[in-house]
Amino acid sequence: MSGTALLYTDWLDEMEIIFESLLNGLLMGSIYGLTAVGLTLIFGVLKVINFAHGSILMVGMYAAYWCITLTGMNPYLAIPIVVPLMFYFGYFMQQFVIEPVFKVEKDVREPITVIIVTTGVWYILDNLALMIFGAKYRVVHTSVTGKLFELPGDIYLLQPKVYGFILTFISGLLLFWFLKTTLMGKAIRATSLDRDAASLMGVNQYKIYRTAFGIGTAVTGLAGCVLVPFYSVYPSVGIIFDIRAFIIVVLGGLGSIPGAILGGIIVGIIESVGAMYMPSTWTELVIYGLFLLLLFIKPTGLFGSKHDF
Amino acid sequence: MKILRPMLVPVIALTMALGTLGVAQAASKTVKIGNIIPLSGPSASVGIQGKNAREMAVQEINDAGGIKALGGAKLEMLYADSKSDPTAGVSAAEQMINSDKVALLTGCWNSAVTYPTTQVAERYGIPFVVPVSVRDTITERGFKNVFRIAAKDSWWTRDQFAFLKDMEKEFGTKIKTVAFVYENGDWGTGFAAGWKKLAKAAGYKVVLDEPYPSTASDLTPVVLKIKRAKPDVLFLTSNASDAILLTNTLANMKVHLKAIIGSGGGHADPTFLKAVGKNADGIFDIVEWETDLNKPGVKEANAKFNKLYGYNLAGEAVDAYASTYLIKEALEKAASTDPQKIRQALANIKLCSGPGAIFSYECIDFDKDGQNKNAALVVVQIHNDNGTMKRFSVWPKAARHAGYTPTFPMANK
Repeated sequence: MSGTALLYTDWLDEMEIIFESLLNGLLMGSIYGLTAVGLTLIFGVLKVINFAHGSILMVGMYAAYWCITLTGMNPYLAIPIVVPLMFYFGYFMQQFVIEPVFKVEKDVREPITVIIVTTGVWYILDNLALMIFGAKYRVVHTSVTGKLFELPGDIYLLQPKVYGFILTFISGLLLFWFLKTTLMGKAIRATSLDRDAASLMGVNQYKIYRTAFGIGTAVTGLAGCVLVPFYSVYPSVGIIFDIRAFIIVVLGGLGSIPGAILGGIIVGIIESVGAMYMPSTWTELVIYGLFLLLLFIKPTGLFGSKHDF
Repeated sequence: MKILRPMLVPVIALTMALGTLGVAQAASKTVKIGNIIPLSGPSASVGIQGKNAREMAVQEINDAGGIKALGGAKLEMLYADSKSDPTAGVSAAEQMINSDKVALLTGCWNSAVTYPTTQVAERYGIPFVVPVSVRDTITERGFKNVFRIAAKDSWWTRDQFAFLKDMEKEFGTKIKTVAFVYENGDWGTGFAAGWKKLAKAAGYKVVLDEPYPSTASDLTPVVLKIKRAKPDVLFLTSNASDAILLTNTLANMKVHLKAIIGSGGGHADPTFLKAVGKNADGIFDIVEWETDLNKPGVKEANAKFNKLYGYNLAGEAVDAYASTYLIKEALEKAASTDPQKIRQALANIKLCSGPGAIFSYECIDFDKDGQNKNAALVVVQIHNDNGTMKRFSVWPKAARHAGYTPTFPMANK
């Protein structure tokens, strides 16, 4: 009798742990998705893989870190400061660093030199951060750091992750709405579909590129704000997230915003629940395996468009 | 705009070189020492500590008149950034030996980098001083030119278990189950192999054996596994960012353990305590050196280091500092910059006193394989001392911080 009772509680414990890891995977995955939205947006419009993406995330995290540390404000109040700052950072980076190279290769559909320039930007930003801030690991203690939501059955959810999840969906919906309904959004989508045709319709493609790069950078800055309350900030922090972001973007379909968020959640859940049944180093194997499999079956990704103009 | 294209490649090459190689100006009468350490990438924090400690020692040595046996020659440090990458370490060693003509080499902190890089030095017959890199095999290959100051990893794991046994006895708490969680590099897997053997011998049941990638962005899954396995004692081998992540997540997820035992590295990083705060209360860590060490010169050296760089000396930095004085001593003894004469001097050296001798044991003294046979270890406990987190030496009992009683098992928060 006692034997079966013990088994039952064991089973209950096991279910609780699995459920807890599933929820954690969902929350963390949505945040991975948020880190990938900027990358997919920039790719969709410029057809350029932005290798400086991780460094931009790092810049966003430092911006949020200093905002919160210097003023002691609520971490989420840093968003209205960091996001516009990051928008202009991206906007001017496109205008003064990438655009000149882009114009040289304007007749090429996927300008390779631009990829090399973004790699250069990556090295410059990471090493600048190392010079200015040093290799220190910085953690900010905010009002939400380490705070939990406790669900019945000893299930704990970290508050900053829950807020990150909510912010991912709000920003995803806002971006979706912006691209579907506003004139600028429509111009961005038109340029992404066919830059020459859009130009013929009177769209200034370079302005669109700057805006798209700005928005992509701003969203990445938002991801930085979301991460800072529970993650340490250091100069090479971007590398940890950008490899994942690349996989997520291809998984979800290049250029697709819902795809990036869904791709992030898939990766997050595999990483979290998978680790319960195998060593956590192996979950990467599962993620990459799935990634390859998807490339065979549906090379355009989950939400990618079949047509390429 | 066409002009931009040919410029692009050199510009990028220059940018990449910017962060990687700092080549100092050659002065007239100097002895060149090649340092290969991680100055960027995942281990940059500890690499820069090592660089700072070397700089402080070199400054002191040069100000005191350089190498007297060589007519007051100054030490000149050349630094190469390994980025924790073995390939980068090997090519830096080749370059420093062939183009810079260094008299000897030091580095590389990451065992995975030190292992192949010392092989290059051995091939050229250039002496290589290893302050810290703990993988056993580094000094077990019969090499003539490799000299390691730090303890081997088998000594670290041996002492971690000896400490646990002593604690069980002292506090009358029985330990039955243990969990091993470690970074999946050379360092972590080396420790884990040692732990597994020792656990078997000590009669502990291993309920979790979990390697994780040091670059993991989320360690909550690992923490949930610890929570599920319910071990009495958790052994950790972590670098800085993962040590921070694990400590905070363990506290957040309210995982109750009797003891957590770290292995230096991330747990000993000066930024660790600042980053985790009172979440670290009660954690044990095994290190080579602690600021509360009772030895002449320790307090002064630490105060000077803290004033210069804004944080305390730690085991890695102390070994780097001592290694620079060791090199000076070897050069004095050799009275030559000929690598083979320096090697001979290092093989016979006994560094027991002087400003560099701030290590926890008596003397640096190498056995025939180039391993410092006196290297000893201390276990410390992180304790909330009236609001500030401090590290107190607790083991061996003779080295225990006066008036401190360890908390064992850990208090459940």
